[in-house]
Formats: sequence, structure tokens, C-alpha cells
Amino acid sequence: MADELIPPQVRSRLRELRLTARRAAGRHGVGLHHSPSRGAGLEFAQYRAYEPGDELRQIDWKLYARSDRFFVREAERESPLTLWLLVDCSASMRQREPGSGQTRLQAACALAACLAQLALQQGDRFGLIGLAESGLQLVPAGTGTRQRDRLWLGLQGLQAEGGFPAPERLAPVWERVAPRDLVVLLGDFFDEQALVLAERLAAARREVIALPLLTSEERDFPFRGGQRFDDPETGEQLAGDGVAMRADYLARFDAARQALAARLDASGIRHATHVLDEPLDLPLRRLFGAHGAAEYA
Amino acid sequence: MSLGLLLPMGLLALAALAVPLLIHLIRRNTREPVEFAALRWLRERPRPRQRLRFDEWLLLAVRLLLIALLAVLLARPVLRGHPDMRPWWVLVPGVPASALPADLPSDARVHWLAPGFPEFAADAAAPTATASPSSLLRELDARLPAGVALTVLVPTVLDGVDAQRPHLSRPVDWRVVEAAVPPARPASALPPTVIALRHPAGCDAACASALRPLQAAAAALAQPPAVQVDVGPATQALPAGTSELWWLGDPPLPASVESWVRAGGTVLVAGANAPFVPAAADAASTVAWADAAGQPLIEARRLGQGRWLRFTRPLQPALFPQLLDADFPHQLQRALQAPPAPPARVLASDHAPLAGAPGYPQPPRDLSHWLIALIASLFVLERWLASGRRSGVAA
Repeated sequence: MADELIPPQVRSRLRELRLTARRAAGRHGVGLHHSPSRGAGLEFAQYRAYEPGDELRQIDWKLYARSDRFFVREAERESPLTLWLLVDCSASMRQREPGSGQTRLQAACALAACLAQLALQQGDRFGLIGLAESGLQLVPAGTGTRQRDRLWLGLQGLQAEGGFPAPERLAPVWERVAPRDLVVLLGDFFDEQALVLAERLAAARREVIALPLLTSEERDFPFRGGQRFDDPETGEQLAGDGVAMRADYLARFDAARQALAARLDASGIRHATHVLDEPLDLPLRRLFGAHGAAEYA
Repeated sequence: MSLGLLLPMGLLALAALAVPLLIHLIRRNTREPVEFAALRWLRERPRPRQRLRFDEWLLLAVRLLLIALLAVLLARPVLRGHPDMRPWWVLVPGVPASALPADLPSDARVHWLAPGFPEFAADAAAPTATASPSSLLRELDARLPAGVALTVLVPTVLDGVDAQRPHLSRPVDWRVVEAAVPPARPASALPPTVIALRHPAGCDAACASALRPLQAAAAALAQPPAVQVDVGPATQALPAGTSELWWLGDPPLPASVESWVRAGGTVLVAGANAPFVPAAADAASTVAWADAAGQPLIEARRLGQGRWLRFTRPLQPALFPQLLDADFPHQLQRALQAPPAPPARVLASDHAPLAGAPGYPQPPRDLSHWLIALIASLFVLERWLASGRRSGVAA
């Protein structure tokens, strides 16, 4: 029952990936990541010259005997990372992929489950915040398989309706997500507000990763013939001939995606677009896998 | 070999080709709205006006082809020419199977000369149904295409043929085979066994003058015990086995006598004064005995299963001079007997058919069955295509 969110082929490929944070996240406890807190620790890292103010007991006296100069021994200590999964639950996440019938929200939940699996493998803490207009769905961060089950239960309960929550409603996000936590934002990023939240989080020293999700129809616009298009979020309707509108749409949509990428890069946010007809772990490989392994099927 | 149409007006049904074209035109499908989250980047553009676009080319082509074939089917296509030129070998029933030569061509078709021309099988018996060989030869000549070689194997004596040699449109290889001569058909009419002569009870002078020649003729024909004559008044009952009744009298025939005639008897009526005609007899009368000038002397009519004959003139020598002829009884007998069957037996070697008659046009071959099979398979293909593609405009 717990295996339904992640497809079986993807599970085996997840073991090759590592969740990495670009900035070191120092915290108490034992984890995989580099910590800035140096000093007496578990592993030897390097020697550095003595500076007035260092602790005398950190001086390596054997090396002083050999070299007649004072060197301080530095060590590393592993410390855990907290992963926060922010899933956009607005109405635009209802969009279905024509081939598989999967909605964008279902794909986002599958990606969130994959990321949680990576964190679990590494012993990191992970939590969930569902960004729904009616109220944020929160699963507090924790470790272990029981936390994973709690997370999956939270993911199952997410519904795509309404718009993006107003900034006033986002207070729990700022309370829970501490500096140096890794935040992964999953959504379509059609709305300005999701991008603003990501930029603010990145400016507030949280490490942000954006995963925009698109359907193949939005990427290709395969409609031929007269159609009436409905926007699920705003309720706007537009009738027109598919073939005539295609070139214009593709140009504007492409420009919008490039503008989004530019703004994300400007804020230092890593991003990888996921289209719903591609394999689920492809964006994760681009972000976390070894170089060149991202394009493997 | 050429294709043709028996009903070209059926091609007017091609006007129905417009129907799939209209159905497949791309039209604004405003009934089914499509959910599209990236709507803000869509802008309405004016529809292209100059070009008509069609949806689903393959399904449209299959439907157009289907309608065109249905129109052609309505126009009844036929294939002319292309005849079957294999030689025919025909046997008349009565010819033994061994008469076929051993070096028969492999593509020869061997049949019996019988109604329906059943195929010849070496172990099967000859067909029992018979018809005139002349008629069957003419039918075969009309049925076969011109140029097909025909060989007929006949027994020594042919029965039931026409009075003249058959006149066909092709030369026939006429081969006479020694075979048992079939028995002749039985003689058509047996000579009468009993001739009954009835006269009115009280016979006056006129009646007696008419009775005398009839009595004399009856006496001349009597040859006991084969032919017997029974003379008596009208009230006397007819003896058993009476085949002919000569009736002399005025009033209508008694009911018993009339029923005897209807059952198959022959009556010759000789009214002394006014010959009478029963109302129930056939309207058509045939001449049973005509004189040298062609005037009828005895007229015959059918009554039920029997024949009713009468003299056309009173039995007086002044008006009926043939009464005094010596062969009057035999002429009378010949007139009373049913006309014999025409002769129909001939030596086969004398009855070979002649060639030179004009040929017959051959009917063209009907293509409807093949076309129906093709249309059915196309229909299955069209249904499969239409049910497979749901995104297009499936009518």
C-alpha cells in the first residue's frame, strides 16, 4: 500500500541519488552534510596555522615538535539536514496529462514521496506543507519510516482547489522552515505568488529548489479544431481555433518559462522542469545525480 | 473482356458523397470545454476563412470509397466477354459410358443430353428425365459461347426428335455409337372392341334411311371376336367395353350416355333433321374428316375426357355422296380414332445437325457478389477506424 505513490521502476533508481545542499547546514546531531562548526569532532579535516584566540588543546604538539611552528588540528562533524516539501494545491494543479490521466497534483505528490525517500535513505529529517487556500496542510518534520508513513498520509489528503494562499496565511511556513533548511517547492509556477514565496525564502537564507511541473499539452499545444478553453483557477473561458492560436501561444509560453528560469537563477534557486510524460526521476537526477547520469532513461 | 454497367442511372447515388465530406469538416467544438491551466498565455486569433480543413483523412477516404462502391453496386456492374471456351462433350441417355474415347481432352466438360445437362459421372446412372433431343441441342447451342467445340455421342436410333434436322449456329461433331435400340412407343390407339349403334325407338322413314348406311358400315367393320357391333334402340344400355357409340337421334343425349362420354368415350352423333351441340362441349372444334374440297364432313369436339363428333350434313346420298363410297366405313373409323402421334424415331446417322444458323448473344457475368464482399470488408474497416479514434469527429 505504501508503494503506490512511487512507481516501481523509479524506486530502484532512487538509490543512486543523494540529496545535497549547496550551503552547509550546521545543526546538532549526526547526518551526512558538512557542518561549518569545526573543532574537536569526529573526523580529521586539515591543519591550519595557529591564530591567537584558538584553544590551546587544539594545537597538534607532535607537529610542533617536527616543524617548530604551531598548527591547529581541525575536524569535521556530520550534521543532519531538514527537508521541507512545499506542494502547491491550487486549482491549476488539477490539469490532467492526456496519456496517463495523471493530474499535476498526483505527479507532485509522487515527486515529494521520492524526495522523502531520499531523505530517509540519508537519515535526514523531512516534513510537508501543502499550500492550499483553505488552510495549510502541515506534517511536522521528523525522521524514520513512521515519519514517511505520516508524510504519505498527508500527501493522500491533498486536494487541488482554489488559488494560491495569501501571504498573510503563510505564517506557518516562516515558523517551521528554519534557516539553512532545504525547501523544495513543487507546483506549476504559473502564479506570481509562488515565485515570490520562493524568492523570499531564498533571500532568508533557506536553500530553495523549484520543481515546476507541466503537462505535455501545455508544452506542445496539440489541439486542432475549434475548442473552448477553461481556466480552472480564474474561471476564464476562451474559444478559438487551436491551429491558429498555436504559434502565438508557444512563443508567449516559452518566453514566460524563460523569464521564470531567469528569476529563479537570479535568486540562486536550483530548478528542473518536470513534464508529466517524462519519467518521474528525471528532474531529480538533473538536480542530485552525478553529472551525465541525468539523461539516462 | 470489359466492365459495364447495366443501370448507369444508379450512379446518381454518388451525390451522397457529400455527406461524409460535410461530417468531417472541422467545426468549432464548443460543446466540450477543455480545461487548460495555462490560459493566460492564449490569445484569440481570427479563424482562417479561405481554407476548408478536414479531420481524419483516412476515415474520410474509407467512407467516400464505401459510398462510391455502393453507388456502383446500385448501377449493377457486369463483366462482358471472358467466355469459358472449354470443349463440351454430350451423351444422349442410352449411350454406354464406354463410348467416351480414352484420349478425352483434360479440360473437356462431359454432360448428359438431358434437361439441366447434368454432369457425367462414370459410376452414376444415366438421368431418367427425357426431353426432345432436338430441343436440348438448340438449348445447348444457345447457352454455349460461340466457338466452343461441341461433340455429341448418339445411339443408333434417336427418339422424340423434330421433323427436320436441327439447325444450329456451330458445327457439331456427331458420333453415332452402337447401342441397344429402345423399344418403340406403344401404338397410340387400339382398334375399337365394341361399336354400339343406337337409334330412336320408333324409327320413321327418314330415320330408317339414315340408319341403313350406318348399319351397313357397322356390319362392315365387325370382325368378331376382336370387333363387335351392338345395334339397338336408344333405351338399350351400352354393353360393357364400348369404345365407340354411334348415336342416331334428335333429343339431347341421356345423362348416362353423356357421363359415359365425359369419362373417355367417343360418340358420333348423326341427327336426322338438325344436328345438335351440347352446351358443355369445348367451343373449339376440329375437323375429323374433310372431303376433297376441304369442307368438313365430321366435326370433333372434346367433352370432358371424351370426344363428341357429329356429321355436318344429313346422311342422304344427295348431300353426302361419300356415303356411297366403298371405303366409307374405314374413313369413318379413321375419323373416330384419336389422331396418332407424329413419327419421332429416326436413324441417328441421318439426323446430324446442320450449321449456319445465327449465333446467340451471351449474357454478361454479374459482379454484384464480389462487390458486396468488398463493401462488407470495407464497412468492417470503417467501423474499426471510427471506434478507434475518439478524439476526432466520429459520426
